[in-house]
Amino acid sequence: MDRLLVKNIAIRIIYLVLFLVLSNYIYSNWFFEKDIQEYSPVINRVRSVPNDADIIYIGESSNTTFRDNDIDKRPISAMIADFFPKLNVYGITKEASHSGIYKILLSKIPKENTLKTLVVTLNLRSFNAQWIYSDLETPLQKSMVLLKPYPPLYNRFMLSFKAYDIKTNREREAQFKKQWVKAELVFPYKFPYKNVKEWDGGVYHSNILDSEGKKDYAKTELSCHFIKAYGFQIDTLTNPRIKDFNDIVELAKKRNWNLVFNLMAENTEKAEKLLGKDIIYLMKSNRELLKKYYTNKGVLVVDNLTLVKDEDYIDQDWTTEHYAERGRHIIAANVSKAISVFYKKYYKQIDYKSTYKTYFFNNCENSAIWNQSQTISSDFAYSGNKSSKIGKQDYYSITLEYPINAIPDSLKNEIIVNLMYKADNVNKDLKLVFEFHKKGANSITKYYDIEYKNNNWTKFSAICTITDDIKSYDLLKVYVLNKGSVITYIDDFEIVIN
Amino acid sequence: MLFNTISFVIFLPIVIILYFLLPHKYRWILLLAASYFFYMSWKLEYIVLIVFSTLIDYISGIQMEKYKSKSKRLPFLILSLITNLGLLFFFKYFNFVSENFNNLFHYYSISTEIPLMNFLLPVGISFYTFQTLSYSIDVYYGRQKAEKHLGYFALYVSFFPQLVAGPIERFSQLTPQLKAKHDFSYKNLINGLRLIVYGLFIKMVIADNLSKIVDQIYASPEKFNSLDILTGISFYSFQIYSDFYGYSIIAIGSALIMGIKLMDNFKTPYMSKNIAEFWQRWHISLSTWFRDYLYLPMGGNRVTQKKWVFNIFVVFIVSGIWHGANWTFIIWGALYGVVYMLETLVNKAFKIKKEYKPYSLTHILLALKTFVFVTIIWVFFRSQSFNEAILIFKNILTNYNVNIDMLNIPVTTWTFLVFFIISDIVLYNSRFDKWINNIPLLPRWLIYSLLIFSIIVFAGVDNFSFIYFQF
Repeated sequence: MDRLLVKNIAIRIIYLVLFLVLSNYIYSNWFFEKDIQEYSPVINRVRSVPNDADIIYIGESSNTTFRDNDIDKRPISAMIADFFPKLNVYGITKEASHSGIYKILLSKIPKENTLKTLVVTLNLRSFNAQWIYSDLETPLQKSMVLLKPYPPLYNRFMLSFKAYDIKTNREREAQFKKQWVKAELVFPYKFPYKNVKEWDGGVYHSNILDSEGKKDYAKTELSCHFIKAYGFQIDTLTNPRIKDFNDIVELAKKRNWNLVFNLMAENTEKAEKLLGKDIIYLMKSNRELLKKYYTNKGVLVVDNLTLVKDEDYIDQDWTTEHYAERGRHIIAANVSKAISVFYKKYYKQIDYKSTYKTYFFNNCENSAIWNQSQTISSDFAYSGNKSSKIGKQDYYSITLEYPINAIPDSLKNEIIVNLMYKADNVNKDLKLVFEFHKKGANSITKYYDIEYKNNNWTKFSAICTITDDIKSYDLLKVYVLNKGSVITYIDDFEIVIN
Repeated sequence: MLFNTISFVIFLPIVIILYFLLPHKYRWILLLAASYFFYMSWKLEYIVLIVFSTLIDYISGIQMEKYKSKSKRLPFLILSLITNLGLLFFFKYFNFVSENFNNLFHYYSISTEIPLMNFLLPVGISFYTFQTLSYSIDVYYGRQKAEKHLGYFALYVSFFPQLVAGPIERFSQLTPQLKAKHDFSYKNLINGLRLIVYGLFIKMVIADNLSKIVDQIYASPEKFNSLDILTGISFYSFQIYSDFYGYSIIAIGSALIMGIKLMDNFKTPYMSKNIAEFWQRWHISLSTWFRDYLYLPMGGNRVTQKKWVFNIFVVFIVSGIWHGANWTFIIWGALYGVVYMLETLVNKAFKIKKEYKPYSLTHILLALKTFVFVTIIWVFFRSQSFNEAILIFKNILTNYNVNIDMLNIPVTTWTFLVFFIISDIVLYNSRFDKWINNIPLLPRWLIYSLLIFSIIVFAGVDNFSFIYFQF
């Protein structure tokens, strides 16, 4: 190569470097946030966590899913807060996610956050081939590209050039089917099937009969599904989830967090009924492996595997970790008891059957506990930085939902509400609402007009008497309703039952 | 491995560096290995097809050359035709033909049902089978000597830049270049990179962003009013053009860096004054293939008027069938035949000239007319079924409800589309690498910078495949 060529190439390389630096600056400042909101909005779930956290609970849909007739519909993370009333407990939920997603989200928790204890959902089923090669993986991986710890322009380049795991549904299916054949199942006793495919085929062609002696197709299908969901043995060297959880361990060490892996409950009762001891052997041996593996790495592993009864699983014809109220209570209690080792002074024993609360306060800084948290806005605040913004399309303010039947009748005579509000303009549509619900009975609703004052923060107070006919009701809901078009902000929402 | 993925961004430089590091006598091995690797990245198993097709055509060519008489060559030509067209039929048309027969059986209450096959269409099968067919036919007619070197022949069939979506190269054009020793050329590197960058820009920024709008329209045309649908079908004209043109010039640019010049596949087709010219500028490697191996052997235009009309329709309909196993493609091809005939009649009747001064008002008006015809005909190409195409036209003609405003087109999409149209007008009868070479240094680098920045920041992020990969 002659000198001129070398000079030409050198000039171009220098230009390229300058160009990339400038482009990164332009992209970071003018385009990155818009892309984040379009392609990786999941980050908002991390951003919405206040920086004064003591405990963060991260999980998938198992955290938030409830049964329609649950009285206490709160997520597990909010229930854990009951056990540590003086600590700030927040939840991050990303449906259908797994350790590979958690590790990226967790790396985005700001360094200023005071977080001390991190509880990570350890979902046994997420280690199976069908989940690892799930068709949800492509969009999940895509949503993570912009969040990786590299310069924004580089991340956008990787997103533009599809540098993430893209596979068609057909390709994913081929992957997990291959794994069902490849991964041999090893039992300490003689087992007639070599792998999941053989086991699945064997059970499918066996005679599982219903009460009338006919082949029970629904039960057969469910049995096969349990085989595919739990018929695996974790190989710590090759299972991608292990690597991701290991990365979380490293991150926790680096950030000096107490790390807790919350091994979720699985429907072992139904599994045993359908498939006997073989499936239970696999589930339990995987549990032991995970417990041992991560305990050796200094992680506190909470074992919930067999704690929830079949009747407390919401999905009865599928394998999920979706628990009804009692299931979520049990898990919250078990996790809280385990992590109390870090917070002996703050831990309060709770028995969900007899314990009740009579004082509630929400200053909108913690979006995890009350419903309608999507109304929380940073536009104005009476205290802190946020308030609940209602009007136009968001009719309902942050809403307290509480199983009022937990409170003895003699202790519930009235509900006193104090709140601060601020409207943009005259608002004649503002109402404080009390709803009382009971299974098998019509709900009772009481409205209190909130008088318009001025454009400043104004205090509103009301007292709702709990008459005898209401005392037997199960659930209380309290919120501010604004069906008008004038935007109104609600803050420092205080509710006392006495 | 799509051209617009990180895999190709890594793969291409590795192949190019190794190509120039290796002694010339080993380069064919590198390119053949790289091409097979490139093809296997889609589906490992389908490499068997391309190897099988290669071997049959290689043997057929050598056997044909042994005989001077055409009658003795014929069995080997038939072997090649049956093999290539058989594979194509089996993978691409079997289900279509079976479905139509099953419909017929059902109509006449015959209980027979031909089972359908459940497999993926091998990527690029229509392209490489046509490429090898042209070789066999040329050897049969004595226009081409049979290739003795199996490696070079296999490389001709599978050369990765043009393997999966063309340009469909002739043996006489490509193989001598594959055999020639190419030293590293800075000029080729720069021109190749220019084409790759421009190709990525029009694919990733223009086509992929238009795709989002077009897909919305075609997914549920009944939701959109006439104006929205007109916008959507016009966008499709630009989408398919920028998608395929983008692919072609990335292919040309990739080969050019290694000193191999592939044929131009597009020459600003929407600047064509009539359909005949459009097909001389659109997918040139396919239209010249049909001209040389179908139209001219049938007699071309040196036949009676009736036979000529027949020939034209055969070529366009076969072209439609080549594109896909669906009645919509057949209608798409036939419509070109109809418009071609109409234009020929009108041109004759009104004595319209063939040539006009470029950019003159007449040229622009005629180009607009061609664009309108092509856009209407594309509706059949894009629609999944005849009924869907009819629904599109029905909504254009009947749904004037301006209160329905479902289509949200980002400003950036409009901006880049206008930029693309202007660039296409500027590039009339030229090519990006040549055009930009004449631009002074600073604006030239500014254009490069804007293109690269746009590719990174404004590229569509969904997994948009190249439209022509499905063929």
